[in-house]
Amino acid sequence: MTVVRLAEVARVHGEGATAVHALKGVSLEVGAGELVAVMGPSGSGKSTLLNVAGGLDRPTSGTVHLGERDLATVRDLAALRRREVGYVFQDLNLITSLTAAENVMLPRELDGVRPRAARKEAMAVLAEIGVTDLADRFPEELSGGQRQRIAIARALVGTRRLLLADEPTGALDTRTGDEILQLLRTRCDAGAAVLLVTHEPRYAAWADRVVFLRDGMITDTTDSSLVSAR
Amino acid sequence: MSVRHSLLALLSGGPRHGYQLKIEFEASTGGTWPLNIGQVYTTLSRLERDGLVAPGESDEQNRVTYTITPAGREEMELWFATPVVQSDRPRDELVIKLAMAVAARKVDVTAVIHQQRTATMRTLQQLTKAKRAAPEGAAQRLVLDSMIFQAEAEQRWLEHCEAVLKEER
Repeated sequence: MTVVRLAEVARVHGEGATAVHALKGVSLEVGAGELVAVMGPSGSGKSTLLNVAGGLDRPTSGTVHLGERDLATVRDLAALRRREVGYVFQDLNLITSLTAAENVMLPRELDGVRPRAARKEAMAVLAEIGVTDLADRFPEELSGGQRQRIAIARALVGTRRLLLADEPTGALDTRTGDEILQLLRTRCDAGAAVLLVTHEPRYAAWADRVVFLRDGMITDTTDSSLVSAR
Repeated sequence: MSVRHSLLALLSGGPRHGYQLKIEFEASTGGTWPLNIGQVYTTLSRLERDGLVAPGESDEQNRVTYTITPAGREEMELWFATPVVQSDRPRDELVIKLAMAVAARKVDVTAVIHQQRTATMRTLQQLTKAKRAAPEGAAQRLVLDSMIFQAEAEQRWLEHCEAVLKEER
């Protein structure tokens, strides 16, 4: 089942002579239980691709479908994003005045879930990724790897089908980075669709399929035969 | 490559017979280097000749157990204390191939790079999968890590080549 589908997506920033063509006709699908990695140097369009796939940005032309829904027809994108899509960024954006558990609860509370229920959901996902003991700590009391785990928990809470990760291993050492990928992989094997943007080959290699992006275009891709072999 | 020193290292953990050494060597190196049992016995008899190991009694299956000698322990420690030099590495076929593709001028170098990059990424995917499936065995996982780092270095180099050639054009 396809969770997100981009068809001939182009994204142009600006107009006329100074226009920047960030994406030039990119087509890409990510299915449930599939981990797809997008690799490319800075300026290749990776982050734009991720933003468009998650409804944070709209394409100049082409279509983006999340499940059956064409994002161009969705009026309240913010609500759809909160319910369906989880984001993990390099800059974690954890709120420093909230505890780990409160950070994870936040998107659910924004969605109108009552605090008790939101807390329960948050604790469940923290338990799933093995960091229950960190629930009542503040971000500054956590290591870089622990903070990234909390950010991932926040992206996973609720029933999001699509997880978007932009350089989620940032400045982490390779061992902690591998642990983060293990988490994403586990979530994926449980049925989520994961789209990962990275410039590090070792993390891209956790994916079922690796797509190489250059100057806004997909230049080559490892086939997805590994999915069925799994 | 030092099978000789590897056997000494394994024997420093206690007496073992040849077949045990073969099994332990292969397990520790993640199955990346299968040893011929004949090679194990040849190496053991050379080590014995040099006074680095001493044979003991045969067991009921007629297998001789070997023990490391103090001289053998010294030899092993010297091995671990000596850094490995990279100077006598054989030439890398991929490097030569790319250099020739650039020198030949009429070859589509970018296509060569893309093909290799995709192939190396597949290797990297397989290694990562093998590592995830690897049972608890630090030696074995570290061997896989070494191969992962090497494939990653090749991948990075290919991306570097692509970027450099793009500027040159």
